[in-house]
Amino acid sequence: MRMEHWWFTARLRLRSILRRSRVEQELDEELQFHLEHKIEEGIAQGLSPKEARYRALRAMDGLEQRKEEIRDMRRIHWLTDFLDDVHYAVRSLRRTSGLTAFVVVTLALGIGLTAMSFSTVDALIFRPYPVPHPGGVVSLVSTSHDNSYDNFSYREYLDIRSHTRSYDGVIANTNLGTVGFSADPGTTPRARAGMMVSGNYFHVLGVEPRLGRAFRDDEDQAPGRDAVVVLAPDFWKNEFASDPGVVGRTIRLNGRDFTVIGVAPETFPGMLIFANPDFYMPLAMAPVFSTNPQKRFFEDRDDRELSVKARLNRGTTQRQAHNELAVLAQNFERDYPQLNRNRGAAVHTQFEMLTRNDVNASPWKFLVICFILALSVLLVACTNVAGLLLSRARARTREIAVRLALGAGRFRLIRLLLTESLIFACFGGLGGIAVAYGGIQFLCSTTIPAELPVTNPFRMDTRVLLACLGLSLLSALLCGLAPALQSASADLVNGLKSAGVDVPGRKRLWGRNALVVAQVSTSLMLLTAAFLMVRGFRHNLAEGTKFEQHHLLLVRFDPRMVQYNAAQTQQFYKLLIERVRVAPGVRSAGLTQNPPLALERFDTVAFVPDGFEMPRDRENFVSTMDTVDEGYFETIGVPILRGRGFLASDTAEAPRVAVVNEQFAKHYWPGADAVGKHIRLDKRAGAPVEIVGVAETIKYRSGMEKPLDFVYLPLAQHPIPRMLLLVRSTGDPLPLVQPVKDIVRALDPNLPMLQTRSYEDLYRYNFVDGPGAAIKGVGTMGAVGLLLAIAGLYGVVAYNVSRRTREIGIRMALGAGSRDVLRLVMGQGLVLVGMGTAIGLAMSFGVERLLNSLFNTGGVDIAVYLAVAPSMVVVTMLAAYVPARRAARIAPTQALRYE
Amino acid sequence: MSKPNDLVQGTLDLLLLKMLALEPLHGWAISLRLKSISGDVLQVSEGSLYPALHKLEQEGWIAAEWKQTENNRRAKFYSLTRLGRKQLESEAANWQRLSAAISHVIQIAEV
Repeated sequence: MRMEHWWFTARLRLRSILRRSRVEQELDEELQFHLEHKIEEGIAQGLSPKEARYRALRAMDGLEQRKEEIRDMRRIHWLTDFLDDVHYAVRSLRRTSGLTAFVVVTLALGIGLTAMSFSTVDALIFRPYPVPHPGGVVSLVSTSHDNSYDNFSYREYLDIRSHTRSYDGVIANTNLGTVGFSADPGTTPRARAGMMVSGNYFHVLGVEPRLGRAFRDDEDQAPGRDAVVVLAPDFWKNEFASDPGVVGRTIRLNGRDFTVIGVAPETFPGMLIFANPDFYMPLAMAPVFSTNPQKRFFEDRDDRELSVKARLNRGTTQRQAHNELAVLAQNFERDYPQLNRNRGAAVHTQFEMLTRNDVNASPWKFLVICFILALSVLLVACTNVAGLLLSRARARTREIAVRLALGAGRFRLIRLLLTESLIFACFGGLGGIAVAYGGIQFLCSTTIPAELPVTNPFRMDTRVLLACLGLSLLSALLCGLAPALQSASADLVNGLKSAGVDVPGRKRLWGRNALVVAQVSTSLMLLTAAFLMVRGFRHNLAEGTKFEQHHLLLVRFDPRMVQYNAAQTQQFYKLLIERVRVAPGVRSAGLTQNPPLALERFDTVAFVPDGFEMPRDRENFVSTMDTVDEGYFETIGVPILRGRGFLASDTAEAPRVAVVNEQFAKHYWPGADAVGKHIRLDKRAGAPVEIVGVAETIKYRSGMEKPLDFVYLPLAQHPIPRMLLLVRSTGDPLPLVQPVKDIVRALDPNLPMLQTRSYEDLYRYNFVDGPGAAIKGVGTMGAVGLLLAIAGLYGVVAYNVSRRTREIGIRMALGAGSRDVLRLVMGQGLVLVGMGTAIGLAMSFGVERLLNSLFNTGGVDIAVYLAVAPSMVVVTMLAAYVPARRAARIAPTQALRYE
Repeated sequence: MSKPNDLVQGTLDLLLLKMLALEPLHGWAISLRLKSISGDVLQVSEGSLYPALHKLEQEGWIAAEWKQTENNRRAKFYSLTRLGRKQLESEAANWQRLSAAISHVIQIAEV
């Protein structure tokens, strides 16, 4: 019945909308038919045709009113009225196309920046897990005494699984790890991202494999028995060309054959944000993938490598689950006091996990701040637009008063004016989508030279589009409501008489003046900061890395992946270097734990310099360090300024030696030669290490850093399994990849070459792309700020001009020249710009000091201020000049008659 | 205003539905018939007739069709739809309940 009713009426409404003229014509005809009969009836009763017609019309009680009443019956007048409003608004906006374009651009920037920033916040905090019913999936975390979150060990996971009743299933996974992958046993392994998961992982998450099957529970029981693997959808697409016959194939992971049993669906790229696994293995295969030889994965209760998630039972609350787990954690503490002292456990939702305050937390706070900043940009933009519309509304006071006098309802008028701002917002929203799209593309454009590929989580999806829509509507309301309310509440009598008689209220403008000052000052500060950064960037580029970054090839190895022991590892590196060094096209080769300007953090070393007065409260100093072999300094090209580099004779049995950088030498032995001095590792009674050489100070972490203390230790005396081979080539380094590959394969065909890249990549990221992005970001914000400042100033001055037109007319009639008028109107703008510039300059000096303290930007630069500040003043004054000139050109006679 | 003050609210709808249940009619014929059926007791202004008809049409209770009259002129004929018939039944039932209740009350007052 309801459906049928709806079907009928919808058809009728649609007809009224689409065939409006036809429906109108029929209405005319129907009433005409009635009138004619009525007139005939009158004539038949003996009236004259004129009288009969008059009587017929009177019986209708007003033909036009009846028609209007019938139109209302169609229930579509809200739409037809709206269309009329749109029509009217578009016409009036086209008359002021310059203003319209400006408003649209301002709004587009505001909406676009906010939407773009929303997409980052969304990706990091709000986007749900890509599984069915993601709300039921909670994270179980182990908490240590300082309340930071920790993982669980395999044993603990088994206990949780068997001793809890709150969940439909408890799953566990390891961190994403680098795995040597080869599609055929014969090919050299490549580094891919693998993740070990519990046997019930896919089942509990509710993910149905696209091909084949997921793990069975019994495949996760016996350590090392079931070598099966499930592929991630993207990996399957890229590596196996979406071959449906992949199930049942054998692939080789870390030197062991695995059978592919299934492929995860496209809808499930993985549970992580920035990187996702290429394939999943059962936890029971840990012996093949564990990289921590000191711990026994299946036995040690403190080998906490598993992050545990669970799906809550229907009807169980998070609170109940939490209490249950807390009791379990108390039992752990009681049974294993040594391993679980002060350890608790907690149950958290996805949102709670993503917004935690932990050392390992994502930079969500920073992004939320960015979002709030972008939102405030939008708010300021709306305020400015509202200001512009307000000054326009004043010019229309009389028009509106006439409409009110003719019987337009105030609500109807507010609707008309809101329609105008809605049109602004629609175009602004469209522009905003373009801006957001560009911004997100930009965010995704920097490639990060990491070992495993980083997938960028920021994207333009339905959620961001919805955000654009919401923001547009919000800004339509913000921009339009104030002017609309003010116009519609206009005093009718005064409005009809004249528009320019309200008492100049200083108070009302105070807020907007302050806003303009704030806009001028912040945009000045941001633009200065952008210029200062450009200058620092140039400075760094000119200074360079201080070593030759071309012709360098990097290959990372981790022999722990194929279960090498210390002796095997040492032997491998020894043979590798020997063979690479004599390969054709190789000038020299060396090993390092971490090259300069890479993404990984340097290790630190604690030490006490001999003969150095230690401060009372410190036991030792800490410096960044690197472990290198004897070929390193020559290969990377860092000169040894005094003393020597490492030699083959610096073996494990020889006396311990170190090389420090010049900054370190100057720091601890100013004015003396550091060569021959000793440092002791860890504490005053630690092993003595002789400094045998001083190397030049280079950039270690980023292109913009200040000189850093640095210590090099020889690999033979400080063995590290995970090392990076550095090859200096005579020409282009990339053709050397194949010979190196051949050498590695000859040594061990299963040892993966991780992160094979030219050093140029790291250099570009650190010196060109990274700082470039920062400068573009700050520069864009400065430009947007400037645009907002222009809009704000223009709005304020234009508003004043429109309010004081009559006054200006009187002044001119009394003999004021157009220059006087210009001065009068511009004066106020000048004051605002002056105040803004003064504050902005003060803030800029502060920012410069901050930048200088953070980065190596190279001193004060007056030229930047000389360039930025005056151009700011000129541009903003132009914004004030345009309406001021209009005021000055007013003919006095016109102005006196003005509205 | 054109509200049929002399008619109980909603009665006009009931009358129109009932009339159209007998046969399809055009507006002029409806106005004539209203006058003749109810005599001068129920005064329906011609002005309020058409908005009422259009309202019923938009509700889907009556449907309109352009047809030739016996004088060979085009006129808009209204007829009852299936939905309208149901509506008529429920409104008629309502009316009877209401009038029965009211006459009951009046009789009590007389006792």
